[in-house]
Amino acid sequence: MMKSYIWLQTADGSIQQVEQEVAMFCPMICHEVIQKGMGSSKNYAISLPQRVNPAMLSLILDYCRFHQVPGRSNKERKSFDEKFIRMDTKRLCELTSAADSLQLKPLVDLTSRALARIIEGKSPEEIREIFHLPDDLTEEEKLEPLKNTTDDPRIRLLNRLYAKKRKELKERQKLKNIEVEEERVDDRSVDDLLSFINGDNGDSKGIKNSKSKKKNRRRKDQQKNASANEAIKNHNKEPNGLNQVCHSAEVGQKVRPGVGATSNLHDVEDDIFDNKNELDDVDIDDEIDPALKEKIDREVEDFARRLNSDWPERMQEILSFGHERKPVHFSLNGNGS
Amino acid sequence: MHKKMAFSFPDEVLEHVFSFIQSDKDRNAVSMVCKSWYEIERWCRRKVFVGNCYAVSPRMVIRRFPEFRSIELKGKPHFADFNLVPDGWGGYVSPWIEEMAGAYPWLEEIRLKRMVVTDESLELIAKSFKNFKVLVLSSCEGFSTDGLAVIAASCKNLKELDLRDCEVDDLSAHWLSHFPETYTSLVSLNISCLGSDEVSFSALERLVGRCTNLKTLRLNRAVPLDKIANILRHAPQLVEFGTGTYTADVRPDVYSDLAGVFSSCKELKSLSGFWDVVPDYLPAIYPVCSKLTSLNLSYATIQSPDLIKLVSHCPNLQRLLVLDYIEDSGLEVLASSCKDLQELRVFPSDPFGAEPNVSLTEQGLVAVSLGCPKLQSVLYFCRRMSNEALVTIARNRPNFTRFRLCIIEPKTADYLTLEPLDVGFGAIVQYCKDLKRLSLSGLLTDRVFEYIGTYAKKLEMLSVAFAGDSDLGLHHVLSGCESLRKLEIRDCPFGDKALLANAAKLETMRSLWMSSCAVSFAACKLLGQKMPRLNVEVIDERGPPDSRPENCPVDKLYIYRSIAGPRFDMPPFVWTMDEDSGLRL
Repeated sequence: MMKSYIWLQTADGSIQQVEQEVAMFCPMICHEVIQKGMGSSKNYAISLPQRVNPAMLSLILDYCRFHQVPGRSNKERKSFDEKFIRMDTKRLCELTSAADSLQLKPLVDLTSRALARIIEGKSPEEIREIFHLPDDLTEEEKLEPLKNTTDDPRIRLLNRLYAKKRKELKERQKLKNIEVEEERVDDRSVDDLLSFINGDNGDSKGIKNSKSKKKNRRRKDQQKNASANEAIKNHNKEPNGLNQVCHSAEVGQKVRPGVGATSNLHDVEDDIFDNKNELDDVDIDDEIDPALKEKIDREVEDFARRLNSDWPERMQEILSFGHERKPVHFSLNGNGS
Repeated sequence: MHKKMAFSFPDEVLEHVFSFIQSDKDRNAVSMVCKSWYEIERWCRRKVFVGNCYAVSPRMVIRRFPEFRSIELKGKPHFADFNLVPDGWGGYVSPWIEEMAGAYPWLEEIRLKRMVVTDESLELIAKSFKNFKVLVLSSCEGFSTDGLAVIAASCKNLKELDLRDCEVDDLSAHWLSHFPETYTSLVSLNISCLGSDEVSFSALERLVGRCTNLKTLRLNRAVPLDKIANILRHAPQLVEFGTGTYTADVRPDVYSDLAGVFSSCKELKSLSGFWDVVPDYLPAIYPVCSKLTSLNLSYATIQSPDLIKLVSHCPNLQRLLVLDYIEDSGLEVLASSCKDLQELRVFPSDPFGAEPNVSLTEQGLVAVSLGCPKLQSVLYFCRRMSNEALVTIARNRPNFTRFRLCIIEPKTADYLTLEPLDVGFGAIVQYCKDLKRLSLSGLLTDRVFEYIGTYAKKLEMLSVAFAGDSDLGLHHVLSGCESLRKLEIRDCPFGDKALLANAAKLETMRSLWMSSCAVSFAACKLLGQKMPRLNVEVIDERGPPDSRPENCPVDKLYIYRSIAGPRFDMPPFVWTMDEDSGLRL
């Protein structure tokens, strides 16, 4: 029995014949055959769209060959599709495009879904990488937030470095070493950048206790009707109770680390960094990985060496607070002066 | 290495690919890939989500997305639920409705959370959007039953009307009657927040009777138990049902009627309501219990034995909301019966009492964490906790994505060792690597924040109260939590330093709330001056902040990123810090 064939020509000029029932599964080819009478011989081969190269045609015909068979179950078809779709992203893109040009909707859906799954969960950078797309959006066009500058692991190391530096500085100052002069420059800048509200740091000690620290966290004068962080939403939003009045007395006080004070009392400026350092030395429990600690310590030493020359610029970069680095003159010496 | 040629798709093909990408996060990522994708994506985005209504203006949204059909907006910060945001703060939806009314006649869905909605806005919705289908108002206020009446009367294609946790002005019981007799498209109706006398039972019954596609029906407390049977008879196809008051004189005929009608509801998967429960009527729901996946008993003041009986009938439960009457013993039964449990919320029956009124402790949570392998989300109120228990819980259940623990009395220490609970919460963040939401409570030092900053890399929302010792705590969180989007803090000793040192971080987050902390007005001004893309709002009912010394802490501070600039609908007790508020040197 004579089998019917359809003649197809791809953009590169090559011509092939394909079983009729398979080729006719593509609406575009179907249209060419029925409406225009094309494809019956080599001379009248149907010119396929440019997006269909021989490799893609081959894939598409495989798809058609399977799916045009009427008796198959949904399960069989689904199983075929799942295997069929496994290919690298580049081929998937080409296939989507090719299927679209042949108006083969089921295959377009299949490949589109697969591409959607590839895109889902990825960042714009990753997507750009996969599809080789240009990074051509301007900042204004991007309604995205600024990149989180503290992502930079060097900044974390920087923090630890400052902690060490401060400690060093304190020790040296105690010994009244001449080299304090130079260290002080660093110190003042650290102050600038990290405590914007310090007073004028002209003098030697420089570091003022600008911000109050509440001495005792366990405020016994706490109102008893203060309830937990999360009240019961469902129950008609009961008042949460605690309407704290500004305890200005506490706020205005300078705090000095007392002898009998709890371990978390420090001079204000030490708080952010020295505390961290101190925690390293005390191994209260094993929730922080000691190997990680050691690694960071080594990196800090390394980093310290590399950092010495360019850290003022670096800090500027980090905080992007404009080019002025004069200390801002706040008068917040706690005593309301 | 030369850059490979970009593969070029026709726009329609790309649009078709995008049609399979629905989550906001993914759509946002797609739009940021390159110019051409941005353009294609904006034209085919059908659902817009705005997490903070003040982060962007309605006009900007409309300009960017010309063809959306569905919008979701959120207004007030989360702490508004605990009355920390004074009335009149803001969150008005009218500017949005007004702009959209002109621009989107084809808008279909509006979902609002913590916003102020007026009757005028409801009327405008009803008038402007001919194909309006979905109205979900969650924790909203400012409207009355008059507005609802207009919606009912005009929205012929309305499918969903959900008023969860709203405060509605009850002016007339008859708004439900405004649904025309020809109206049959209702699929979901949630009126559980309405006060008494705000519903006409006969209108309700007729409505339920003719809306054969109704899948969700959550009634309010005013609907008596004997009416429920009639209503359910009209809607045996219901999938989600919320009863009204579940109390009546115990009568065998009422009981068997109820039990019979529940048995005919073969599709029922979710139950709620249960105000004022009379335990004798509970067994009426046993026929549906085996299929139940969600059960909300947070109003059911029944005791542990009844709760245990009920819960043992529900092996397929995935979500349970319950009062602490369930006690540790009940939670142990839950742990052994409900292996599919994914979400558990245990609310306090007597949060303001000085002494515990029930035997619910950390043990209940430990039991559930051990017995329920799929448990991901927990909200747990209790009166005592230990580090040991928290570490055990963390080890048992590393798949937590939401962990909200509320030890009722602030600054409660580990009851066994009297130490802070730093280590316990540290274990939670260390083991639960996919943790997205965390609420802290109990006695906590800066240490816990160090753990959080070190380990909680996927954390998106953190709630803190009465915790920490110094700015170092806040610094750890702001510098370490890479995925942080929302941070809400109350009554903690965090001041200016950490905030200013991490100012850039604030632009990567949706919002920061700090109340009763130690942030000075001066720091707020500086932040507002230096960070033009942040709105720094000082909320202070004591009067203008510049009437006090600059170093005085502000009462409440709400900082959020915005490309819309400062807002102009602020009440007298809110000030936005901007470039002009910088210090005059």
